[in-house]
Amino acid sequence: MSATASAGPVTAPRRPSAFRMLMKDTGAAIALVFVVLIVLAAVFAPWLAPKDPYETDLMSIMSPPSADYWFGTDGQGRDIFARTLYGLQVTLFMGLTSLIIGGVLGALVGFLAAYYKRLDGLLMRFMDILLSFPAILFGLALAAIFGPGLTSVIIALSIATIPLMARIVRGAAVVVMGLDYIEAARAVGMTDKRIMLRHLAPNCLSPIFVFATLRLGQVILLGSALSFLGLGAQPPVAELGAMASQGRNFLFIAPHISVVPSIAIFAVVLAFNVLGDALRDALDPRLRI
Amino acid sequence: MTLLSVENLVTSFKTSAGEVRAVDGVSIAVERGQTLGIVGESGCGKSVLSLSIMQLLAHPGRVVEGKVLLEGRNLLDLSARQMRAVRGREIAMIFQEPMTSLNPVHSIGYQITEAMRAHEPSLSAAELRNRAVAVLDRVRIPSAARRFDEYPHQLSGGMRQRVMIAMALACKPKLLIADEPTTALDVTVQAQILELLRELQAENGMGIILITHDLGVIAEMADRVSVMYAGRVVERSSSAELFDDPQHPYTLGLLGSIPRVDEEKDRLTAIEGAVPPPFAWPPGCRFAPRCPFSIEACTQAPPALREVAPDHAAACLEAPL
Repeated sequence: MSATASAGPVTAPRRPSAFRMLMKDTGAAIALVFVVLIVLAAVFAPWLAPKDPYETDLMSIMSPPSADYWFGTDGQGRDIFARTLYGLQVTLFMGLTSLIIGGVLGALVGFLAAYYKRLDGLLMRFMDILLSFPAILFGLALAAIFGPGLTSVIIALSIATIPLMARIVRGAAVVVMGLDYIEAARAVGMTDKRIMLRHLAPNCLSPIFVFATLRLGQVILLGSALSFLGLGAQPPVAELGAMASQGRNFLFIAPHISVVPSIAIFAVVLAFNVLGDALRDALDPRLRI
Repeated sequence: MTLLSVENLVTSFKTSAGEVRAVDGVSIAVERGQTLGIVGESGCGKSVLSLSIMQLLAHPGRVVEGKVLLEGRNLLDLSARQMRAVRGREIAMIFQEPMTSLNPVHSIGYQITEAMRAHEPSLSAAELRNRAVAVLDRVRIPSAARRFDEYPHQLSGGMRQRVMIAMALACKPKLLIADEPTTALDVTVQAQILELLRELQAENGMGIILITHDLGVIAEMADRVSVMYAGRVVERSSSAELFDDPQHPYTLGLLGSIPRVDEEKDRLTAIEGAVPPPFAWPPGCRFAPRCPFSIEACTQAPPALREVAPDHAAACLEAPL
């Protein structure tokens, strides 16, 4: 008994996990650590911030970075370090929400288009139409309808994300649809919904993850741009794009007011881009050795 | 009652090159416990025939004529929901490529239980697992209970094909359609899989439609054979009779192109030319342009399948040869 158990079946060696592949890439490891830090900083901003981000100190307006104010103060004497932490929170919330809304809807469209070939032309042409509007235009239109604010920005970025995600997902799903196991699943009498959920979707996850990570960087950049233009977060809300915008009048006398949030945006976007790229390499089985 | 009888089935694909009838007036019948072999070259419509029976044709394929009677019930009249209940439960199917027929992201046990869950949603997880292990056992997978949690990439081709068969048999279907089940496997494994299919058939008396281009497999497995060429059945007889006394020139050509150990032959005879593409099928007998026996009349009208010997039909004007 024990002899047969210890012999065991011959099994193929496990492939290295995607996570391990990711950690082999130094740049990606740094990006991942940085992303984790950013997320932690954003989530715990209320505890980490040394001062209230909305408290004005009229005695020290536009003071440069010092021991008291690590990143200096802005035009109203508010602590930029605290505002950057809260800004990260708002920015990440905006980015993630629009990515999730747009991503889920886009993925749904992509799966439907790949699964029901009849719908393919109609759905994807509609996506092409959406794709021909710049995200900024959606932002302008929505700000005109609902008034400027975070909600408008989130809706605009969601809509702008839908066609991109739909294309990525459709491309991946069409390939999977051609594989025999989809037909095998049909041949055992599974429902369309079940086949899509259990067989189609799990096999399209890696391009979805890669795209989502890369897109998060873009969405944050776009959202900050909309806020910079005054269509997004309204003062006094601490949002990185809006903070950069508020400092632009003082660029020559107190550059840190604009520069600090700009660097924050840059670093966040860069980290997500590097991570997305590395994720693509790690998840692509052809690049695995 | 005949288990499955397909009557005058026509499957057409509307393409930019015009309407293409990949299956053009095919009739076949399978009895319980019997194996029907369907032979033909690639592109003769044998796979489309099996997909038509299962109604798994991809757009723009469509069955435009004929009947598919499963125990007298016409499957073509069923709604999508009713047809789903037939698939897997009454007719199951196994495919050519065991390497791609299993989903790489799920364990094999999960995939088998899924096939059961599709038809018996009330079963508990433990019961599903027990049944799946039992089915894996039945297809002679060693230490089935442990294999349950393994993934397809951990199994060899032969093992995967066994898992495919287990999935197909999970709900005890009456009819199994095996589309080139052994083509992708090496010869020793091929023999094992065929042996397994025969044993399972003897155990539960299911009918099998065995689609293949390999006459060796037919000789070993089939009780009756239908030879297909360019979307039509050109010859139909018992398996023994077909190899003894082929009546259609195409069958003759197929048999002539197999190497034999018991005969001195310098070269294998090949059939001249190639299968014409479906949109360029000749108006008369579709084999006429490649047929050494063809006469003027062959190019006029397609010859009907007619009895040339007891229980042996051929679609050839010149038959019996």
